[in-house]
Amino acid sequence: MALDIGLILSAVLAGMIPRAMPALLAATGENIDEIGGVLNLGVEGMMLMGAIVAFIVDYNTGSILLGFLAAGAVGLLFSFFHAVASVTLKADQVVSGTAIWFIGWGLSGVLYHAAFGFTTSPVRINTLPSVSIPYLSNLPWVGTLIFGESPIFYLTLLLIAGVQYFLYHTKPGLNLRTVGENPRVADVMGVNPMRYRYGATLFGGFLAGLGGAYLTLVIVGSFDYDMTAGIGFVAVALVLFGKWRPWRVFIGAMVFGAIYVLYLTLESVLPSFPYQFLEMWPYLATLAFIVVVGKRANPPQALGRPYDKGE
Amino acid sequence: MAEPEVRMRGIVKKFGQVVANDGVDLELYSGEIHALLGENGAGKTTLMNVLYGVQRPDGGNIYVKDKEVSLRSSNDAQSLGIGMVHQHFSLIPVFTVAENLAIGLKEGGTRLEISKVKERIERTATQSNLVVDPGKVVGQLSIGEQQRVEILKLLFRGAQVLILDEPTSSLTPQEAIDLFHTLRTLRQGGKSIVIITHKLYEALDIADRVTVLRKGRVTLKGAREGITREALTEAMIGRQIETKGYERATIATTNSMKVEDLAVAPERGRVPVEGVSLQIKSGEILGIAGVAGNGQKDLIECLFGLRSVKAGRILLDGVEINNFPIRKRLEAGLCYIPEERKTRAVAIEMSLMFNSIMHDHWEEPNVRRGLLDGSAIRDLTKRIISKFNVVTQSENSEAGSLSGGNLQKFIVGREMSRNMKYLLAVNPTAGLDVGATDDVRKTLVEYRNQGKGILMVSEDLDELLSMCDRIVVIYKGIVSQALSEASFDKLKIGAMMLGEGFEQKKVAA
Repeated sequence: MALDIGLILSAVLAGMIPRAMPALLAATGENIDEIGGVLNLGVEGMMLMGAIVAFIVDYNTGSILLGFLAAGAVGLLFSFFHAVASVTLKADQVVSGTAIWFIGWGLSGVLYHAAFGFTTSPVRINTLPSVSIPYLSNLPWVGTLIFGESPIFYLTLLLIAGVQYFLYHTKPGLNLRTVGENPRVADVMGVNPMRYRYGATLFGGFLAGLGGAYLTLVIVGSFDYDMTAGIGFVAVALVLFGKWRPWRVFIGAMVFGAIYVLYLTLESVLPSFPYQFLEMWPYLATLAFIVVVGKRANPPQALGRPYDKGE
Repeated sequence: MAEPEVRMRGIVKKFGQVVANDGVDLELYSGEIHALLGENGAGKTTLMNVLYGVQRPDGGNIYVKDKEVSLRSSNDAQSLGIGMVHQHFSLIPVFTVAENLAIGLKEGGTRLEISKVKERIERTATQSNLVVDPGKVVGQLSIGEQQRVEILKLLFRGAQVLILDEPTSSLTPQEAIDLFHTLRTLRQGGKSIVIITHKLYEALDIADRVTVLRKGRVTLKGAREGITREALTEAMIGRQIETKGYERATIATTNSMKVEDLAVAPERGRVPVEGVSLQIKSGEILGIAGVAGNGQKDLIECLFGLRSVKAGRILLDGVEINNFPIRKRLEAGLCYIPEERKTRAVAIEMSLMFNSIMHDHWEEPNVRRGLLDGSAIRDLTKRIISKFNVVTQSENSEAGSLSGGNLQKFIVGREMSRNMKYLLAVNPTAGLDVGATDDVRKTLVEYRNQGKGILMVSEDLDELLSMCDRIVVIYKGIVSQALSEASFDKLKIGAMMLGEGFEQKKVAA
């Protein structure tokens, strides 16, 4: 059986952006978090919480906007816990993040059953339709690819541009980068490291929640136990891949999205091939990227280290 | 005389039992350079940390422009126009000069207008003789340039009083001259400058007024003109101490550790060490003199096995150990006292007991039937503590809880308690107080007298002269012929440390 390369390629291009979006949102938030020096490994849990809360709110109100807002709020709440543990109480950030992952993982499943009981077929909602930008979306190839996406995508582009501007063209952005490099220097220069770290962590949590909501409200339309399947960790990896640069993180997310769709496409084109191996492939690719890029990465010097004023 | 810019009255600062400042008075006037002089541990930095708001005094008052102030943080000090450059710079290496200076900037809007910052830097820089490219990344600047950035940072924040902690310690001679030039310009501009130093000639060279601290008390203060070198020396170290004070027996030995035409495997950013030939006889102390950064540490690390050999041979009692892993070197009787006490010599969060067996925890009697023997280890640790006068609560105390001097006594004692033949020691007394320094030196000489061979790197030439049987000088990775005790000449060795006699050698090779 000959594979139709053209068909596969167009499928990959068409599906790349939607599949990249949850990881992109979460990674953009995680990036800010890490630039401030706080590692959040709880992204996965925050995304699951965002996914379920968005789903429940949308199901009950019919409002996708409210769904997203609720998901952002629950992301804020969970990242607040992370900030209290790792910034104020100076706990190990890896341990705190892992705890949040576990809580989100378990609690999201419980909430689903609490809201909908045990059903034989999954509960469904309508997903967000995509918008077509007039004229531009009629362009061949790139038309549907770039100009026929969900509105969230366009907002996200604006967000990344804003993050880029914030980090490299504003004083608070410079201060945040300083806090991530050396909080003591920041402190001596009159910048409060605690405040910046809280802000960055909350921002990261908010976006992780939105990333989770994107899964249920835009892509799938239903909730599945552990439906993020590691995307939260991919988001953490993407930050490393992107070397803490917002647009590089964006490119990384797109590559991840393409690889993910490729696996979905190949699965349907090659039904006899054991799908378990295809399923591994986006994650193996992520791992390979990290090994190659990570060696040369130059992370914020204080990443993962709590700041103790008295020391 | 005008009112002083800053007045400190009766400052007392204690760390536990140790009194770092014991009723210190200090006045700083505008338009003067003030040298704060004293030996390591005399309390100079502590006093300035108090003025900079980093440490809170246990007693005394501080007045700025005749108003009593309470300094709770460095931000308080900065807002009163007091700035400090620490020995370890607080710059972000991945940022540009301009970005480093813009951190925490309040004036203007939220937008970071880096071009405006650059303009301001250039203006300040020309006024004060501080040439630096504001667009450059700090990590790529030399130490001298980074220091200029630090000073600019203070001026940028409107500092009137500038405190520099050991500002020349890591500068080249030319950079030091440039720095002094800058400081004179700043003095003319009416700034009040404090340099903390333990170098006499620096104080004599640049200061208008001098305050000398010893053991936390002011022993001398006054205008530069009225002070002689001798008076400064005595104020700093008390009565002149006898340096040639160590009994050294003559030992007849045949064993030695030999280094033949050794080249250390090169590492980026390090001085290449090549063509080193040495012989460390048992029963002697061979000293390596040299200015820091000339490859002495690389050489020692190579001998111990932390760096690999590129060419040449290392022989221990006739056995080539080039390819020995460290454990085999330890078992062959090689010991090592690194300079970085707390990061390389001990695990600071572990007890003295565990630290005492780090090099030989696999050997009897520390281990029996494959298990650590607690009582044997406790005995060993207690022996080290009592024999080497280590002041500690108990053998269970964490290594990190010991003071620098006691920790070093413990480390030296640990090495001496092993089955040792040759010892490699790097700056074994650096940063120790007079008492501990003397203890460590005595111990080393005592073990020399018992027939051990010691190779000792020290930046303190007086120390080497007082302890060593022979001395070699290292300069840019090249080691000189050994000088025997009869031909020790401080001035000559000092000149060699700055490269005299080495150019010809390189041509010859």
